[in-house]
Amino acid sequence: MTGGDVVLQTTNATNATGAGVSRPPSAPLADSIAGMLGLDGVVGAVVGGLIGAFLIANVMLTTTAIAGPWAKRKITASFTDRIAVNRVGPFGLLIIVADSVRLLSKELIVPDGVDRPAWDLAPIVITFSALIGFAVIPFGSGLQLADPETGVVFVFAAASIASVGVVMAGYASNNKYSLLGGLRAIASNIAYEIPLIVTAASVVIFAGTLQMSEIVAVQRQPLVTVAGVTIPQWFAIVNPFAFALFTLANLAEIGRNPFDLPEAPTEIVAGFQTEYSSVYFVLLYLGEFIHIFLGGAIAATLFLGGPAGPVLPGFVWFYVKMWAFFLFTQWARSAVPRLRIDQFLDAGWKGMLVLSFANLALTAILVGVIV
Amino acid sequence: MSLEEPGPDADAAAVARAADEMEALVGEHVRSRDDHLNAPGYVVRPDAVQDVLGTLREEANLDHLSCVTAQEYEDRYESIYHLKSYDDPTHEASVVVPTPKDDPRSESAAPVFRTADWHEREAYDLVGVEYEDHPDLRRILLPETWQGHPLSLDYDQERPQIVPLREHANPLEDDQEGDEGETMYLNIGPHHPATHGVLHLKTTLDGEQVIDVDPDIGYLHRCEEQLCQKSTYRYQIMPYPDRWDYISAGLLNEWAYARAIEDMADIEVPEYAQVIRTMGAELCRIAAHMLAVGTFALDVYGDFTAIFMYAVRDREKVQNILEDLTGQRLMFNYFRLGGVVWDLPDPREEFFESIRDFLDHLPGSLEEYHDLISANEILQVRTVDTGVLPPEVAKSYGATGPVARGSGVDYDLRRDDPYGYYDELDWDVVTEDGMDNYSRLLVRLREVEESAKIIEQCVDLLEDWPTDDRTIQSNVPRTIRPDDDTEVYRAVEAAKGELGIYMRSDGTEQPARFKIRSPCFSNLQTLPEMSNGEYIPDLVASLGSLDIVLGEVDR
Amino acid sequence: MSDSAPDRFRSDPTQVETDTRDARISGTDDRFNSKLRQAFGASPFILTKFDQFMNWVRGSSMFMLQFGIACCSIEMMHTYAVKHDLDRFGAGVPRASPRQADVIIVPGTIVSKFAPRMKRVYDQMPEPKFVVGMGSCTISGGPFQEGYNVVKGAEEVIPVDIHVPGCPPRPEALIYGVAKLQERIATGESSPVVVKPYELEEFGDLDRDEVVDQLAEEIDEDDLVMRYNWADSP
Ligand code: SF4
Repeated sequence: MTGGDVVLQTTNATNATGAGVSRPPSAPLADSIAGMLGLDGVVGAVVGGLIGAFLIANVMLTTTAIAGPWAKRKITASFTDRIAVNRVGPFGLLIIVADSVRLLSKELIVPDGVDRPAWDLAPIVITFSALIGFAVIPFGSGLQLADPETGVVFVFAAASIASVGVVMAGYASNNKYSLLGGLRAIASNIAYEIPLIVTAASVVIFAGTLQMSEIVAVQRQPLVTVAGVTIPQWFAIVNPFAFALFTLANLAEIGRNPFDLPEAPTEIVAGFQTEYSSVYFVLLYLGEFIHIFLGGAIAATLFLGGPAGPVLPGFVWFYVKMWAFFLFTQWARSAVPRLRIDQFLDAGWKGMLVLSFANLALTAILVGVIV
Repeated sequence: MSLEEPGPDADAAAVARAADEMEALVGEHVRSRDDHLNAPGYVVRPDAVQDVLGTLREEANLDHLSCVTAQEYEDRYESIYHLKSYDDPTHEASVVVPTPKDDPRSESAAPVFRTADWHEREAYDLVGVEYEDHPDLRRILLPETWQGHPLSLDYDQERPQIVPLREHANPLEDDQEGDEGETMYLNIGPHHPATHGVLHLKTTLDGEQVIDVDPDIGYLHRCEEQLCQKSTYRYQIMPYPDRWDYISAGLLNEWAYARAIEDMADIEVPEYAQVIRTMGAELCRIAAHMLAVGTFALDVYGDFTAIFMYAVRDREKVQNILEDLTGQRLMFNYFRLGGVVWDLPDPREEFFESIRDFLDHLPGSLEEYHDLISANEILQVRTVDTGVLPPEVAKSYGATGPVARGSGVDYDLRRDDPYGYYDELDWDVVTEDGMDNYSRLLVRLREVEESAKIIEQCVDLLEDWPTDDRTIQSNVPRTIRPDDDTEVYRAVEAAKGELGIYMRSDGTEQPARFKIRSPCFSNLQTLPEMSNGEYIPDLVASLGSLDIVLGEVDR
Repeated sequence: MSDSAPDRFRSDPTQVETDTRDARISGTDDRFNSKLRQAFGASPFILTKFDQFMNWVRGSSMFMLQFGIACCSIEMMHTYAVKHDLDRFGAGVPRASPRQADVIIVPGTIVSKFAPRMKRVYDQMPEPKFVVGMGSCTISGGPFQEGYNVVKGAEEVIPVDIHVPGCPPRPEALIYGVAKLQERIATGESSPVVVKPYELEEFGDLDRDEVVDQLAEEIDEDDLVMRYNWADSP
């Protein structure tokens, strides 16, 4: 995964400099690593950033490695009264090693007539767009690679690069099922990205900043205190409506049930992934899961107080929140039917968009009146 | 079969009267009578097929073309149209169309009954009768490059054949040139997760919308008819029916054969055996419907989800009971001519206990299905008013079973043409008027309840059955040779609809012609009707709601 | 049909070539060997260990192709589902696309029209791939062997690693078959393979005979075809 680190590093550097115009670059994790190593200046920034990126990327890749071959199977199995993997290692945990090594060692089939550079790039784009998104996520306990002032914008921008990847994969595969999957992905991304971001904008209005760490900080303030228990000002509690909207749009954005149209087995085989095997398939698979976790991370940061939580350290809480979101997606997958493409788009354009703008306007008025 | 025909004399007289009336209607075309066991048969000239069928449909209310059988004799070819009435399936008639050996051509019935389209293609494919006026006379079951017609008398099975693998063969290419907009041709299947087996849908898409779909079948054509013709009535045929509709509906299929041969050879079935048969058959129906519901959910939800797994869990329970009863999980081979092969397993109480246990839990699981599936708003949005099949269309395609009943056609052979022990029991025929995917789903779920009712009554009966009256099989001779040239067409209500068997004997131990009328074959024909103009997901859902089994479609 | 026709069919296995088949017939099946091993030529300790590890990996986890043909597929579904739960063995992820599958369970009767398609699906799977033949039908044609349209066993078309007999085999039997396959893979055994008479060929490459002549108008020279010969297969 060295490639990823490089990409991450570059992006951080760019961001850091971009943000540095008005403020000193803030890259907490990189700074502290540099501090620990006793380096400073440019060398410190580069080395610290590199190590930090390596750390974060590895944490995320490990998380997905657990989620993909093991946790997903176990969760689905418990929804369906089964046991799932339990022979290979304790609780079947070694299946993670077995699955990933086996998939990586398979023959890489390049079908006839694929559009070469695009076909090869697509899995890489999909996976790393999600990884890049984690650059600005505050994991808590000081784990944040970069904290630009435009963090929210950056994370959405990064996450939606994936749709370009999906379209590339769908179009380049020279397979009609893939093409259909790719087209569905575009349609869904256009329809749901707007409500997603508009809903996020309402949080930004509340918080009055685009900076991730600031948004988290705002949520730490108490909302009410009932019988000695202080309820913090999490935006999910302040504005549950926006949270619901965001969660739905997020499901569509990461393509999970009931909105998993781009993949849609039983309709279009495996959608845009149909033609991919071996390493590329692993990348797509990883990308899919990292995206779920990125979705969870964004939701946690914007609405669930980020790393906030009692007793346990912030990082653990953040992790728990991401996994909770993952569990939620798996639950939806087991229990909710998939929408049809026209209904899906209808719901997006006629429902979500209107609601999210209504939410934005309301928030703006409220904030304007109160503040 | 005294049970099935109360007052045989009066009945026979009425049938004869009706037959004469019908003959009067089409008198000018009828050359002679060639009556089958249950139905009067009118021999007509090859060029009068449409006239005769049209008249019979309009005037004699024979609106259900149940089956088309073609066969070759030493001196002629023959196509038989088995007609029934949807209102009263015991009102039957056969139209026999002989054609000369050197020029086997006869008029197509497709303009009168749409279902004749595929049936005649099959007759052409397997026997070699050609139908004039047919919209599209191609091979249907065998690859298009096949040489010879396998059920004709001079077919040489040893002959090598060549099977092509053609890709992207767009049947609509020529029609499309003038079309506005671009269309895309998509092969769905024969290996595709949504086709439930090896069905190939040649689909033409406009964006995501289906403008044309042409089911291409025959990927599981296992020559069942030929094999039955090569087997003896007494023992060898019975295992095959299990493999037609293999979704645990084995006993229902076995009953179709049992009913036909018992009529043909005049075999009595003891009452006790009839009750066991009825109970077993309904257990099979529950298992089959469970899988139908599960796979339908799979199609709409798109993954091996909880519902599918729950359905399989309930099937496991049924299969355990059936295994206790028959000794096998799937291919039961339990019926024998004149009864069943063995009595209920010992200890009987335990067996009854297990059935009652299952029946007690069934309402709970049905509740769960209703919560998860039929009460789910998203599912309703997906399935209500999609895949609409109006009753007239369903009838003209010969649709039966839950597909017809979901369109409000009140047709159930268990009640209308009673056999077994059904007419002594208290149960209802389920119909829904929605005509869409959702009603077909509901029909299946509700039919499970009805089947449970029937089973419960059977268990009650069996529990109190006097010990000295437990005859499981009547006395049937070791070899059966029905009289030469006896013909019979008999149908039962299988899980998917009317499963009929046509048999002709030639005085030997093996049937000279064995034809299977499969409900799925007719039901599948309605797919284009249901899904043209809809979206791909609806096409997939409609296909799921038809609940086809390829083993039965292709036979 | 001329008398020499059957001979012509079975002869010339050299004419049609697939790497997999040749490798397996000649005993140089290298599905289990790494590229490294090939490069080194011998088996030094580290590579041996590596091979063992790879075998363990392949034997411990496999994605199945979601592939249903006939009656046996019903029991196959039961094997995946509750109660039997094939996933316990790390072999219960059905993938719809052959590109992502390792094992194809062939559950049912193969008929002439389907054989070329099955061959195609098999070819689309990436190496190393394994085949489990489920049911008597995939062994010999089973109850339908006499049928004019039935291929007498999956082995006519693709190489089969494990046969699970039964009609249909019980889910327990299928699980046993899969477990056996995993065991064999894990110990690095590969299966002997009989010569398959049925191959996909271009129509233009066929020997000219009566049938070919008759069909010459219908089929293009470069269409892929498969010979089907009921009498000739074992
Ligand atoms: S082996 Fe038996 S159960 Fe399996 S496909 Fe063949 S006939 Fe059906």
